[in-house]
Amino acid sequence: MIDFVNVKKAYPNGTMALKGINLHIDEGEFVFVCGPSGAGKSTLMKLLLREERITSGKLTVGEYDLSELSEFKVPYYRRELGVVFQDFRLFPKKTVFENVAFAMEVVGTPRSKIVRRVPAILNTVNLSGKQDSFPHEISGGEQQRVALARALANNPKVVIADEPTGNIDPKMSLEIMSLLIKINKIGKTVIVVTHEKDLVDYYKQRVVMLNDGLITEDRVGGMFNEEV
Amino acid sequence: MRRYNPFYFIGQAFEGLFRNSVMSFASVAVLMSLLVVIGGFTLLVTNIDVNLEQFGLINQIVVFCEPDASESEIEDIGIAIGKLDNIAKVEHVTKAEGLEQMKDQYDIYDDVDENNNPLPDSYVITYEENEKVVELDYQLKQIPGIAKVNNRLELATTIENFKHGVMLVFVWFLAILGVVSIFIIINTIKLSVFSRRNEISIMQYVGATGWFISLPYIIEGAVIGIVSSVAAYFIEWYIYSYIERLVMTDLQMITFLPFSDIRGFVLWGFIGLGVVTGVLGSVISLGRYLKQ
Repeated sequence: MIDFVNVKKAYPNGTMALKGINLHIDEGEFVFVCGPSGAGKSTLMKLLLREERITSGKLTVGEYDLSELSEFKVPYYRRELGVVFQDFRLFPKKTVFENVAFAMEVVGTPRSKIVRRVPAILNTVNLSGKQDSFPHEISGGEQQRVALARALANNPKVVIADEPTGNIDPKMSLEIMSLLIKINKIGKTVIVVTHEKDLVDYYKQRVVMLNDGLITEDRVGGMFNEEV
Repeated sequence: MRRYNPFYFIGQAFEGLFRNSVMSFASVAVLMSLLVVIGGFTLLVTNIDVNLEQFGLINQIVVFCEPDASESEIEDIGIAIGKLDNIAKVEHVTKAEGLEQMKDQYDIYDDVDENNNPLPDSYVITYEENEKVVELDYQLKQIPGIAKVNNRLELATTIENFKHGVMLVFVWFLAILGVVSIFIIINTIKLSVFSRRNEISIMQYVGATGWFISLPYIIEGAVIGIVSSVAAYFIEWYIYSYIERLVMTDLQMITFLPFSDIRGFVLWGFIGLGVVTGVLGSVISLGRYLKQ
């Protein structure tokens, strides 16, 4: 599904963010990507989202070879992904329903399908009664669930969450993580970038530890290793 | 087949225009000024051309026969002219026709009739090349029975030079105002794009194509262009009509095209130019922000 083969990334200022990453993620896997600040987690995310191009090596996601992917094809590739950010990135002037529907409108989904699908997704993330609320009327945890629903709107194969619990309280964090596990169980590949040791240790999934641009540990059912 | 709602794009465009209303107003004002200046210069040049034609100053020489020349002598003069080089057309104007033309142009000759007509027969010669006009002038003067050769070359040259001067000023104005207009439109759209940068980044993450993101901004540029051109059209109409009234009162010799004759040309010309400038401004300002 996702293959990093000796992937290196150097920025124009000379910083070597990734120094040769080899990582394989199968379809339907759940992976935590952890590591200290400056380890290369953000760069890894940017490469997966094709915000940045790799400097050398080979990176493939499904049928897309990101080393070769042209600008024109990037939007079509991104439709295969669902992305959740730490700061939710919702439209403040759109309701919960409209925020989720927007992702479908952007890719030209017919209105009739949007009207059917959005309530079903909101039900999956336990937000059935909130579809007419605006983001400022709901809690941080609920806003993150809206973002999660939006990420699922176009039925992506891969869900990438960048510090999804960074802006919410511990109880809500557990709820968001449980939802991500639930999404994984319906067959989606889920990659969660986080530095929250307790969550990583609690869920005992595959853990990829990054440090100084290299993978220092990759263990299924692993723990957050603070020593790396 | 993907179906997109056109009202979404139009709604977004108008939202952007009102969100940055000050810059939108500035864009319309500058683009409108540009169009009024372009229109003004174009109409000035068009009217100069019409008057040059009216006065027979475009490649034309008028030769007057001796007042007492007989009909056969006048005919011989016509044949002799026709044999010269650099001649495109020769038209005989009899003294009666000449009087009629004068009466048509100026209404101060009502008391002149065929009995006291002072005009001689004349030939209106249209020549091919300006460069050889001095030679033609000399050859005409050698034909017996010709009293006067009126080539009006000096006047024609003066008017042509004036026209070229106007064109030169016009080109500079066009260049300066064009650059200023595009610069202001670019900044208006940039502000619009900047205020929606989060929205754009979300669109990009969920897989919106470049054209889906760009279309509202392109419509925004086109709307700026249309509003500016319609406003410029009415201003041009008002100014033109004012000058027309002035000219018709004080300078009756000058022919002024009625605005009704050029209405369509001005309106569609303005809309075309306005929309192209507006859209161009949008496209330039979007480039950097749309990088995926």
